[in-house]
Amino acid sequence: MKKLIFLLSFLLLSTGLPAIAADVPLMSKDELKAQLNSGNTVILDVRSGRDWSSSEFKIIGAVRAPGSDIATWSKNYKKDQTLVLYCA
Amino acid sequence: MKYSFLLSFALGAGWLFSPESLVIAGNTAGKLGWLALPALAAAALLFALSGNLLRQSQLSGRQNSSFSLLRSTTGTIAATSLTIISCIPLVVLAATALLVTSGYTFNEVFLYWFPNFGFSFLLLSLLTLLQFFPEKIIFKAQFCFITLAAGGLLFLALSGIAATGKPVADVLQQPEGLFSASSAILFFLFTGSSLNGNRNHPYLIPIAGFIIFSLWLVVSLSYVNPERLASSTIPYMTTARKVMGDPGRQIMGVVVISGTCAAITALLLMCRNMLGDILHSKKSPPLLTAKKQRFLLPPLVALAAAILMARGLAGDELLEILLRSSLVLWMLYHCLLCLSAILVQYREKQSIPVAGSFSTTIILAALLTILLSSPHRSEMILFILSMSGIGTLFAIIWFFINKKINTNLTTQQTEKSL
Repeated sequence: MKKLIFLLSFLLLSTGLPAIAADVPLMSKDELKAQLNSGNTVILDVRSGRDWSSSEFKIIGAVRAPGSDIATWSKNYKKDQTLVLYCA
Repeated sequence: MKYSFLLSFALGAGWLFSPESLVIAGNTAGKLGWLALPALAAAALLFALSGNLLRQSQLSGRQNSSFSLLRSTTGTIAATSLTIISCIPLVVLAATALLVTSGYTFNEVFLYWFPNFGFSFLLLSLLTLLQFFPEKIIFKAQFCFITLAAGGLLFLALSGIAATGKPVADVLQQPEGLFSASSAILFFLFTGSSLNGNRNHPYLIPIAGFIIFSLWLVVSLSYVNPERLASSTIPYMTTARKVMGDPGRQIMGVVVISGTCAAITALLLMCRNMLGDILHSKKSPPLLTAKKQRFLLPPLVALAAAILMARGLAGDELLEILLRSSLVLWMLYHCLLCLSAILVQYREKQSIPVAGSFSTTIILAALLTILLSSPHRSEMILFILSMSGIGTLFAIIWFFINKKINTNLTTQQTEKSL
């Protein structure tokens, strides 16, 4: 029984590792603010489901574009546009 | 087991103060306007009446557990299947959903630099660990969670009433009717209020829930535009911010996190009790005795929730559909228990309990309304049917394992006596 509990605890902890191991380049708040006035920047909220609904922080004017649906919404933007994606 | 008055409240109110209930209450207030108050009163009254019906069946003495009550009318396999499918999907899916919400709340309200998923996993690990402590400690922790959640909500509601702003509810142009799906969804708040071993106080949770939530709904409708309440995914936070600004958000943050802890602990305890009733009723394989199940269930549930979170279910609309379906299954279980109690009482006393039958009929009608009015009804029905199939299969296997164990035991006893 102890071995089983240990194994389950290990599995439980290992499932959580991807959540802290992500290495994604970030844009600062000030960098985004500077780009907002360029007129060529589109902010895309790529969160969906509870990731989006549980969050209090939603940038005004951001367009919802679920990450899983990238093939569909990516066609709506020109290549010279700056797309800022945020997920948290 | 008999619980004290306060402990009954702490165990039964676990789901009531969860973030999910706060969303349901806020959205309903937005859709119904001031009609949300009589709808809340009706839901509380009906669950109090059905709780009293279950208490009467317990007092009659023959069926001292939910499982034995259900078994007396549906048979062993159906009762086993219904018990399993009403609690296990709910506890796994609710834990997944509530932990994600808590993770975001902690990240956005308290510590920006702390990863939201990191907090969700940390909380899940701590709540799982708590289940390995003696019951006395779990109950004390649960009491603390509920005190923080209910106390915080009450404090915000009273603060809002004391400094009430201009009422804005008259902005609502076309409120939905009292007999609508939005009204029926309020029933989810009180589902489970009489399922966690606290049948000695059937009126406690409905009355307390009605008082606290009616104050909260009054404040919500006084401070926030109903259309915004109806469409918001976090109406509780919107109201808290309008009432007290940033301190209000922080108090609501505590309410959300402690409400999540209370809901998951209460659901795990409920699941443990319900499965324990099945295991107590027959001889079980050595790995699944009632005592071992206590230590096996929480890590398994936690593992399932962790896998669902890590696989990205939180970012999928499917989670909401599955959670709603499992809540429907939970309410269905409550209705079937009440129907069994009515049937048992009819068999024993040749009389039908009028109030209990009335409340059960209305709750059943509300359940059907929720199911049939949902835009995802086909997915929900598919989930319910799939769960029923899996549950029945498990119950049949379980039944045959038990039969084999009992046959072996009888053979051994006969050999010893010879």
